[in-house]
Amino acid sequence: MAYPYVSDREVRVLSKNFGDPMARHVDEYVKRGGYQALKKAFEMGPDAVIDEVKASGLRGRGGAGFPTGVKWSFMPKEPTRPHYLLCNADESEPGTFKDRELIRWDPHQLIEGVLISAFAIRAKHAYIYCRGEFFETTQVLAKALEDAYAKGYVGKDILGSGHDIDITVHLGGGAYICGEETGLMNSLEGRRGQPRVKPPFPAAVGAFGMPSTVNNVETLSIIPHIVTHGGQWYRQWGTEKSPGTKLFCVSGHVNKPGNYELPLGFPLMDLINDVCGGMKDGKALKAVIPGGSSVPILNADECASCALDYEGVIAAGSMLGCASVIIMDENTDIVKSVRRMVQFYAHESCGQCTPCREGSAWMTKILLRIEEGRGTEEDLQTMLDMSKQMTGTTICVLSDSVAAPVVSSINKFKDEYLALIRRGERVGVA
Amino acid sequence: MSDVPFKNPGWAGNTGEFDLSEAQVRGDDFVGKRPTAGGHPSGASTYPYMLAEKNPDAVLFEGEYKERFEKSLTRYPTKQAALLPALALAQEIRGYVSPESMDRVAELLELSPAYVRGVATFYTMYNKAPVGRYLVQVCTNISCNLCGADEVMEAFLRYTDTEPGETSEDGNFTVIEAECLAACGFPTCVQINSRYYENVTPAEVPKLIEHLKAEADGGR
Repeated sequence: MAYPYVSDREVRVLSKNFGDPMARHVDEYVKRGGYQALKKAFEMGPDAVIDEVKASGLRGRGGAGFPTGVKWSFMPKEPTRPHYLLCNADESEPGTFKDRELIRWDPHQLIEGVLISAFAIRAKHAYIYCRGEFFETTQVLAKALEDAYAKGYVGKDILGSGHDIDITVHLGGGAYICGEETGLMNSLEGRRGQPRVKPPFPAAVGAFGMPSTVNNVETLSIIPHIVTHGGQWYRQWGTEKSPGTKLFCVSGHVNKPGNYELPLGFPLMDLINDVCGGMKDGKALKAVIPGGSSVPILNADECASCALDYEGVIAAGSMLGCASVIIMDENTDIVKSVRRMVQFYAHESCGQCTPCREGSAWMTKILLRIEEGRGTEEDLQTMLDMSKQMTGTTICVLSDSVAAPVVSSINKFKDEYLALIRRGERVGVA
Repeated sequence: MSDVPFKNPGWAGNTGEFDLSEAQVRGDDFVGKRPTAGGHPSGASTYPYMLAEKNPDAVLFEGEYKERFEKSLTRYPTKQAALLPALALAQEIRGYVSPESMDRVAELLELSPAYVRGVATFYTMYNKAPVGRYLVQVCTNISCNLCGADEVMEAFLRYTDTEPGETSEDGNFTVIEAECLAACGFPTCVQINSRYYENVTPAEVPKLIEHLKAEADGGR
């Protein structure tokens, strides 16, 4: 199989069907052992499923890395009101492209994961919130879901077990902020996708005012495997605190960009040099963003010993986020790259909180000014001061995401800013 | 159509060919044969939201479209939750979301017109003004940008002879910058109407435009 690129160092659990157009057919999925985990989960009961997921140590794959089993255990055990499971498929963090692949290559894996998870949190209805741009992806998902309904895997009295679970695919309208869990709930309810103040947390008051849990596509897709093989099985990969495998979305200046499923704790330099076939055109590495555009940039020195698990990347000075590794070579214009990311946040700020709404727009203007050679050295201090006021002062973390690349790039690549300011010189491509 | 097929790994998953239809690329019936009425209610709100042929004067939510709208309503505990699907449907029928469309949606969902405008303007995918037959959205965010997305954007503007957001004279193209389309490993990613084109290079842009023009002239 030649799914864009594969590596023999991969452990393909989640991604085993990538590149295989047959896997999305329900009969084929069942033939390969699909929907057996669902039967097993029904026999185990909801609490045993939650315990198994807790035992696996699975951490949420949407970016925050919160233990999934623990999150589920916050849901009321004796439902007095409807519960909802929300699957977050609003993948829009720059650098991330794993959920789309998971859905379009293996939609039934996700559907089965959604069913088991909904069962575990005692939800009778689950929504899969897909970003609006994912037209082809949701068509695959909708067709797969229709097939699953027809075969009795979804809907009323699933497989004669007496359990009812409905799934609905919902299409967003193109707003990054709807990937934030409370923004997603607002958007689902037909509102602007503005994040809500927490508490109350979703497990108490979530979608439609009811107890809800939001999980990422990748988190839910691994659930059938954990139920089938047990929590301990999942711990054979990864580290003590970050068990399991993870999809790494590698983009930028490497020879073989793409999705690679690797055990957590995998060395960053091996990912670049071995798995991804090295740097494009043999150039030197300048910087890496290890977890999508919202996390601090690492310079080449910091990358050298970085291990790709939640703790390892923090130790290196950044965050794993959703493991969207963006590679930049020696010719990269850091100021332009940072400006482009900040511009994105300025566009996507929902406008509720002043530090974010104003800060992201001002930051873009200052960065553009520096890029055009009209900046001053004071601008750098201004941006650092603004970053302080934009961190931890808003309802959601979008504002912090603006500050992260700005602060880290000023600290680590100050020379590039100064060169532009002093001489109007620019590194990299003209 | 051009002699050399345009590569389109996005659609085919690996190295499919641009000239193939969506269904051919899939090799199955997953894409391209969906009923206007929306099939099973679980997926009723996911059908095409951007079509090449637009009809700004079409009556909203009639016939099969009405059926699809009503199916979406059954999937949520509140009427208001069907707002995004309803706006997408209005856009699919008319090509954009006009003030009149928004008012009609408000009426159907028992919401105030001002509320519906507030929500519709929050989301970028609801076009507030008519666009060309093909809405070309070029991702210029970080990953694509590192791999030359700005040049792809320039090429689209040059060969369609437009400014960003402007519709070409023949009514075929509107080119805009898009934020990350979640195809970062296959740069540059370009979304044209509902469809993704991946690994697009500036050199391939003229061929792609020629192909779309032929499609616009000759129907399918």
